[in-house]
Amino acid sequence: MSSSGRVFSKGDCSRRAFFKIAGGAVTTGAFAASAIGSRAEPAAINIGALYPTTGNFAQFGQDCVNAAKLAVQMVNGRGGIKSLGGAKLNLVLSDVQSDTTVTRTETERLINRYSLSAIHGCYASALTLIASEVAERHKVPLLTGSSTDQLNRGGRKYTFTPFSRASQFAKAQLQMAKLVGSEPKVAVVFENTAFGTSTSSGLREQAPGEGVEVVMFEPYSSGFADAGPLVNKIKASGANMLFAVSYLNDLILIVRTMKQVGLRIPLNGGSGGSVHPDFYKNTGADAEGLLGVAHWNHDIDTYAKEVSAEYQKQYGKFIFEYAGGLVAQTFLIAEALEQAASPDPQKVRDALAAIDATKGNAAMCPGGRVKFNETGRNIYAHPVGVQWQKGDLVSVFPKEEAKAPIVKS
Amino acid sequence: MTSVIAQAIVNGLLIGGIYTLVSIGVTLIFGVVKIVNFAQGEFVMIGMYISYWLATQLGVDPLLSLAISMPGLFVIGVLLQHFLIRRVLGLGDLPQIFLTFALSLLLINIALLLFTADYRTIHTSYTDAAIQIGPIYIGVARLIAFVVAMLLSTALEVFLHATDLGKAMRAASQNPEVAMLMGINPDRVFAAAAGISLALAGAAGSLLMPFYSVYPSVGQVFALMAFVAVVLGTLGSVRGALIAGLMMGVAESLGIQFVGSDSGLIVVFAVLLITLAIKPNGLFGGWAR
Repeated sequence: MSSSGRVFSKGDCSRRAFFKIAGGAVTTGAFAASAIGSRAEPAAINIGALYPTTGNFAQFGQDCVNAAKLAVQMVNGRGGIKSLGGAKLNLVLSDVQSDTTVTRTETERLINRYSLSAIHGCYASALTLIASEVAERHKVPLLTGSSTDQLNRGGRKYTFTPFSRASQFAKAQLQMAKLVGSEPKVAVVFENTAFGTSTSSGLREQAPGEGVEVVMFEPYSSGFADAGPLVNKIKASGANMLFAVSYLNDLILIVRTMKQVGLRIPLNGGSGGSVHPDFYKNTGADAEGLLGVAHWNHDIDTYAKEVSAEYQKQYGKFIFEYAGGLVAQTFLIAEALEQAASPDPQKVRDALAAIDATKGNAAMCPGGRVKFNETGRNIYAHPVGVQWQKGDLVSVFPKEEAKAPIVKS
Repeated sequence: MTSVIAQAIVNGLLIGGIYTLVSIGVTLIFGVVKIVNFAQGEFVMIGMYISYWLATQLGVDPLLSLAISMPGLFVIGVLLQHFLIRRVLGLGDLPQIFLTFALSLLLINIALLLFTADYRTIHTSYTDAAIQIGPIYIGVARLIAFVVAMLLSTALEVFLHATDLGKAMRAASQNPEVAMLMGINPDRVFAAAAGISLALAGAAGSLLMPFYSVYPSVGQVFALMAFVAVVLGTLGSVRGALIAGLMMGVAESLGIQFVGSDSGLIVVFAVLLITLAIKPNGLFGGWAR
């Protein structure tokens, strides 16, 4: 018996190690040469796109890859980079497997193997931070919609964030709370990842200043089998509003369990899972009235609507915030290439640092303008508050840019 | 406070029922065939997809689809035993570990290819329903899953002790050579054990479907707890896996309630380590030896 016990635990160890190696090998094989696009005269310009199409974030990563392809189609369809004789963009895709180690090696590999002019990625903040480190070291510009403020720290010179930061998300979310409840007593639950921790600590720090009381502040491990215990705890806290910083599956379980135990309080799901079309597909009417905060939304302007309509045609759902944002990023890269008139990553970086986009797809972001400061942050960016209304995700905050009034649930 | 604790225990027991089904499958195939099946979670995933597609394409209630997922996975289990596991028996531990482990990876990647990474859920009339007893809420879908899981576990116990095939299984697990001398055909017994083991995984999948999303790597969520329960309940002991599965569910739920929502597993592993320190072979010295 004891020897069997030993075999079991040894097996468990080698299982994990093997998973990594085998997973890496499989994906490297499958994606090694998955360069999309056509080679034309003049030489195509390689743009790296690093997204997790397997692992925890696979569903989001897939949508990002779809959007990246659509964006390149759009740029190329409009004649490519004119200052480079109409050079086409060539998308070099890589699956970073929702894993930080893989993200590091894949970013290295892509940069070493293809001469990339720029990179965008990686959906999850935890992954983007790693890719950003590697890109900085190799002096290749990286654009991202990931929201952690850490991306604008540490003297990064090649990392650009055209959209609002986690700290800004928190402020918007707290202000929205006061629009749906008079004396908000909020329970904050968040998954214990870079995304969850950075977003929630912003919420906690800014809550007193915004007049919002936080009665529960609780990290949880994502991928639980049952939301019951967590919801039980929220209920016991006496909160009259819930902020959940969660990706898709956890949030679906939380929403369903809340309904089961009769806990009917307004829920703001931040960005993450609540702003994805599949969330509504999986929860249906239970999602009605649920709030979120996004760095982008498909109804913010006519360009965004156009992109989303095209995405809807190809993939059967509206384009979710992160994917929509990376279409804008692709256009920013194209704009920078246009100005630099060179595919050299250093020159593209300098052009990005100097860019001031005020119109078109490149400026398609809340705030309507992109100009980076020395930390790579877009000084015009702000988040957009959204709400599920009749099956669509509608921009409801800030008031001046709202497409529909916020509904109190 | 009492109601909070009571609710936490109820929540833990309900999800523990699912852990139990998965871990009984693992422990049965280990006890009889002496192989650790790392792919057990992936068979739960297959059970979930069977119920999902039957529900969305043909409108079959996930609970009724038990009648398809269980026999379906039983057949897969028999074939798996006959064509794969049988070939690596007696070759030592490594080939067996690699076999079931490779199978796990293969199944996840096939599912990814066929069904993409999308989370898929189905909505039944009882998905959001709950029974309220005083301050305690009991989700109907979870309650059904729990009751069916307990019925299946009890049925398996009865089968192992009261039928010839069940007795033969226990005999083959205790001493294959002597069992063979007594006229028991190990191939047949092993195939039945593998079949039942996978059928239980399929049942877990169908029972989960009304309240959990299916996606290619969903099995991993349940496999970890199942393996903990198997070790805690003594490898090879069905009764042990049953009790340990429920214990793990309750430990996790109480851990989340009183230690922290990211600490459920800490409590689970603490319970495991303390138990193993006192009883190195787990809670039960069951019939495996």
